[in-house]
Amino acid sequence: MVSLAPFVLKRPWLVKALTPAANWYAGASGYRQLGLRYDDLLEEENEAVQIALKRLSAKESYERVYRIRRSVQCSYTHKLLPKDQWTKPEEDVPYLRNILAQVEAELAEKDALDSMTVIKKH
Amino acid sequence: MISRSALSRSVQQAARRSGAVPRRGYAAAAAPTASYETADVSGLKIASKDAHGPTTTLAVVAKAGTRYQPLPGLTYGLEQFAFKTTQRRSALRIARESELLGGQLTASHTREALFIEASFLRDDLPYFAELLAEVVSQTKYTTHEFHEEIERVLPYKKAAVNADVAGLALDNAHAVAFHSGLGAALNPSTTAPFQKYVNEEYVASFADVVYSKPNIAVVADGAGSQALSKWVDQFFKGVPATASSGQTLKTEASKYFGGEQRTSHTAGNAVVIAFPGSDAAGSKPEIEVLATLLGGQSTIKWAPGFSLLSKATAGTPGLSIVSSNQAYSDAGLLTVQLSGAAASVRKAAEETVKALKAIAAGTVSKEDVAKAVANAKFNLLEKAGTRGSSVLLAGTGLVHNGKVQDLVALTKSLDAVTADKLKTTAKALLDGKATVSTVGDLFVLPYAEELGLRV
Repeated sequence: MVSLAPFVLKRPWLVKALTPAANWYAGASGYRQLGLRYDDLLEEENEAVQIALKRLSAKESYERVYRIRRSVQCSYTHKLLPKDQWTKPEEDVPYLRNILAQVEAELAEKDALDSMTVIKKH
Repeated sequence: MISRSALSRSVQQAARRSGAVPRRGYAAAAAPTASYETADVSGLKIASKDAHGPTTTLAVVAKAGTRYQPLPGLTYGLEQFAFKTTQRRSALRIARESELLGGQLTASHTREALFIEASFLRDDLPYFAELLAEVVSQTKYTTHEFHEEIERVLPYKKAAVNADVAGLALDNAHAVAFHSGLGAALNPSTTAPFQKYVNEEYVASFADVVYSKPNIAVVADGAGSQALSKWVDQFFKGVPATASSGQTLKTEASKYFGGEQRTSHTAGNAVVIAFPGSDAAGSKPEIEVLATLLGGQSTIKWAPGFSLLSKATAGTPGLSIVSSNQAYSDAGLLTVQLSGAAASVRKAAEETVKALKAIAAGTVSKEDVAKAVANAKFNLLEKAGTRGSSVLLAGTGLVHNGKVQDLVALTKSLDAVTADKLKTTAKALLDGKATVSTVGDLFVLPYAEELGLRV
């Protein structure tokens, strides 16, 4: 998938211009009204995410399950959470993406090393 | 057909004609060294020995054995973290790269030292020097590796330790003889708490204390001293001179206590009878000779050999007796380890005390003493000559005393041991406090009191 994010992040003025729009978009996508964080939405059904989830600390893991169950309950009752329980933008931090990136790098390295040769420099 | 002498002569002439090509002949080759040469590379102690063989063993020896661990199990944890992910490459990459070069990586520990060792083809010295430096100074000690790799194999390690009855008996003997310090358990046991004391943060802070320049030594067998100091100088720059947390290693002088410990066990029977022994510097050479005189294992084929215990127990099959002096930097333990069927272990324990009493009474023949001295000398030199154990010995000596064993002095002191000296030593041992550790079928295995030992 082609992403414009690296292009934008390299240019501070562009970041500054687009941030309000990005914030509006994140709010409008609706997951914060269900008390979720963005990382709760990552697709779970693959090896890398399963490994990453196991590496979460016990507290993070518990809170993640709590948020997901609460949002499912909201979905069943066709209601949003009271406004004071919405996820605030500053709470919506990446807690899984970093670990996931690390796991994906490990898996990619494992694949790559299956046909590796060492080039001696000395 | 060209005659060989003619060919070589023309080659020589050609060489002479082509001018002064600086070429090293056989006579100029660096002479192989039989003992370790030590050096100091910017505060780091190194030792090397080179027999010009095709392979090399390089080891980092740290003063981090179970004796020095601030919490039980940290040495084992640190050993398990060797060759795990570092700042520069992953554990998998380390494994695959060293596989490609045909190297072997091992980490192990004794009561006094931790060894991180690599064996490889001679030409790969720079690669493995860099790797060991990286392991020592740049390991990440990640949480997920602790949970996913170290904790995963822990139950199997514990089970293996628990099944080794002779090892348990020796461990208990150390605990009874030295209490803390040298008495700390060598491996995690099934009954001791592990998770309470060991996690990746504690291991990392222990590593910070342990992996500092004055606390480690780099030992190579099969590498020239110049090459080694060159690469060590280049790669071990990142090793700090003092711990960054400012903590220091907890060291206490060893003290012998003695006593008895009995543990019920179903997997086998073992008895360890131990007495205060000789330290690594050879403080009491007569103890080494006493160990070989008691013996227990034949050194020749199809005969019990000269040692007192193997002669006394020649009729009991399936019995294993090992007498040795466990030498540490400031203490030693003369141990007789017996294992086998309960009844035969009981008999062997009685024979051991009988043999000691015979030595104390001076009824041992001069010839047997001479054989024991010769065997003790052989054991010493063989241990110092064999690659694995010599690297271990040299490294342990370097980190504790700053020098490797002086073999000449040690052999000389062994030569000076006489039957009279053995007699007084054995008498003193029997009069002092013994250490008896019993593991197995306690209904059959004897108490120290029954054997006639004071505990």
